Amino acid sequence: MMPIWTKSGKKHAVTLLKVQDCHVLRYISKEESGGKTSKLLVGGKNASPFFKSESAMEIFKEAGVPRKQKVTTFNVTDDAIIKPGTPLYAAHFRPGQFVDVTAKTIGKGFQGVMKRWGFKGQPASHGQTKTHRRPGAISTNKAAKVYRGKKMPGKMGNIYRTSFGLKVWRINTKHDIIYVNGSVPGHTNCLVKVRDSKLPTYKDCNKNPPFPTFFADGDEKLPEDLYDEEIFQFTDPSVTYA
Amino acid sequence: RISSDGNPAKFQPPPKPVIIDKQKQREERRFLSPEFIPPRGRTDPLKFFIERKDMIQRRKVFNIPEFYVGHVLAVTTADPYANEKVNRFVGICIQRGGKGLGATFVLRNVIEDQGVEICYELYNPRIQAIEVLKLEKRLDDNLMYLRDALPEYSTFDVNMKPVSRLDHEEVPVNKLQVRMKPKPWSKRWERPKYNIKGIKFELPEKKMKEAQKWSQPWLEFDMLREYDTSKIEDKIWKEVSEGLKK
Repeated sequence: MMPIWTKSGKKHAVTLLKVQDCHVLRYISKEESGGKTSKLLVGGKNASPFFKSESAMEIFKEAGVPRKQKVTTFNVTDDAIIKPGTPLYAAHFRPGQFVDVTAKTIGKGFQGVMKRWGFKGQPASHGQTKTHRRPGAISTNKAAKVYRGKKMPGKMGNIYRTSFGLKVWRINTKHDIIYVNGSVPGHTNCLVKVRDSKLPTYKDCNKNPPFPTFFADGDEKLPEDLYDEEIFQFTDPSVTYA
Repeated sequence: RISSDGNPAKFQPPPKPVIIDKQKQREERRFLSPEFIPPRGRTDPLKFFIERKDMIQRRKVFNIPEFYVGHVLAVTTADPYANEKVNRFVGICIQRGGKGLGATFVLRNVIEDQGVEICYELYNPRIQAIEVLKLEKRLDDNLMYLRDALPEYSTFDVNMKPVSRLDHEEVPVNKLQVRMKPKPWSKRWERPKYNIKGIKFELPEKKMKEAQKWSQPWLEFDMLREYDTSKIEDKIWKEVSEGLKK
């Protein structure tokens, strides 16, 4: 995570996400998948091909791509279908866009009710016998049962969670890095899924993104760094309030 | 002249004069700002490389002078609420923290009997100028104990003139022993955990001995805590100096 300053002098914290060898693996049509839209299977980071069975490696062989560590599905409209085997780059996103980021949260193991659900516990003194971090009562007398989903101690973390509506401040096309506002679930160097935001406030925010994606062998030559309009770039002189 | 053999002595040329090149001696002393050194962790080195590029870029546009803890600095920042839109603060640097672009330094001064500490970010674009008024290193890396010292040690004139520097050789170390206000202090500075050498402890011997109970003599031999930064520093120094020359 890094600080970033705007032209008005405000500081924002930013997370760096690296796009490492992403390829499109397979196209699944609407009828095949049985959903409302067609799907595209996309694979992430390269990994060793020796530790998986032949049947699992079939998808990668079809696409002509080394084995990927993580494979995810993206729901895609029919006009945005990409041929399997095309690489995806960070330039697929543009600064000023809004993005949802999904990842597995840091696993905390078996945790008590105070850490997991934020219960207040009991006082440390004034006669409490062996009760300082316990949940207390779990149901009422009338109910005569414990409801399903009652908050109790258990395994915390290591589940998929999404942060919605994160602004993209800057993109580095040379190293394929996306600078995303705020924090992102997951530990450092974990695998993360980045999608265009589904929030209704940002429905019309994408001003001419590269559609269906950014092709590296195309005619467009992008500069090494793409900045948002409000960002303070370090090549400029210091900020003044005139 | 006849040598011991009896033959005439060979012509001995006079000894060559030894030229001490002062410029080379100056260049030998390298200073790498502590925020360039990456902390120990599992972060990708690519992240530090990208951050260093940004830091070098900022340093090309705006000069950040070499300074240590104990120097007296004057910082002018852009302030939308001030009359002249510019705010100038003079103070002694008591601590330098943070790594990368978020590096900070805290300046302390006593203005009209009120102690004021301001934490500035080195790479904040609102900073217009940083001037080093007085160069002197102290015996410690962290001068937080000045909060519990007598106020005369933290007062610096706001309109102080920059002290001229004669040698470009070494930064002078001020071995000043500071006198403290009566206890209680904000932290127990006599304990060996803080390892402070710049205070003149006027506590009874019994208290000093009791403080030594909290010493952890095994810490300096702990191998897992070792972080040898010499090679990393050399690489980063080369990278930074090349980046700044361009």
